[in-house]
Amino acid sequence: MKDIDNPHKVQKEILKKTYLISLLPIISSLLAGEYDITLGFVFGLVIATLLLRLKYNNIIRALSMEEESAEKFIRNRYFLEYALYFLVLITAVRHARLNFLAAAVGLFMIKFVVISWSVIDLIKDTFQSKIDEYK
Amino acid sequence: MVEFSPEVIDTIIRAAALLGAGFAMIAGIGPGIGQGYAAGKAVESVARDPEARGNIITTMLLGQAVAESTGIYSLVIAIVLIFTI
Repeated sequence: MKDIDNPHKVQKEILKKTYLISLLPIISSLLAGEYDITLGFVFGLVIATLLLRLKYNNIIRALSMEEESAEKFIRNRYFLEYALYFLVLITAVRHARLNFLAAAVGLFMIKFVVISWSVIDLIKDTFQSKIDEYK
Repeated sequence: MVEFSPEVIDTIIRAAALLGAGFAMIAGIGPGIGQGYAAGKAVESVARDPEARGNIITTMLLGQAVAESTGIYSLVIAIVLIFTI
């Protein structure tokens, strides 16, 4: 992972990759005429993006606190974010024009990208070290 | 053998689904405790080595973003159990 020292840049890179990958399900659901899936997915993705920004701001704020108060602060903020996730999913269930599963997948997209990015980096590093060993 | 009417069976299934949803929500507590602990340790690390602040923030951000996935999984399962059964 490049620029690991710059969290703002890493965050931007993650969001860029997430949006690029998200284009595939959005365009395919639009072409298939499943507009509720598109709406649900975009809804989940927008909320996930905003919650990532919120998490970043919370972490910056927590690092200027004492150890115990930072622990409490992040724990409380997690439960607040959890309530927001709950509200988003409830809205997706209740609203007929939003697909619930698409909204859930939209919420998970950033996490999928982070995990797959790490796995790809790990594979690249392993492959590179094997090549270096061979040389 | 005791035979139940369809209404009673429906009620039992509904009660079991709600109970299952309640149990699924227990999984939402773990990530909160874990994230709080990680935040405390991150503060300690930044105090020890302020130059590594950026690295610590990035690792913490990515770690916390992935850690809360299990909580959201449980939330999705609970909502499916409540609203579809």
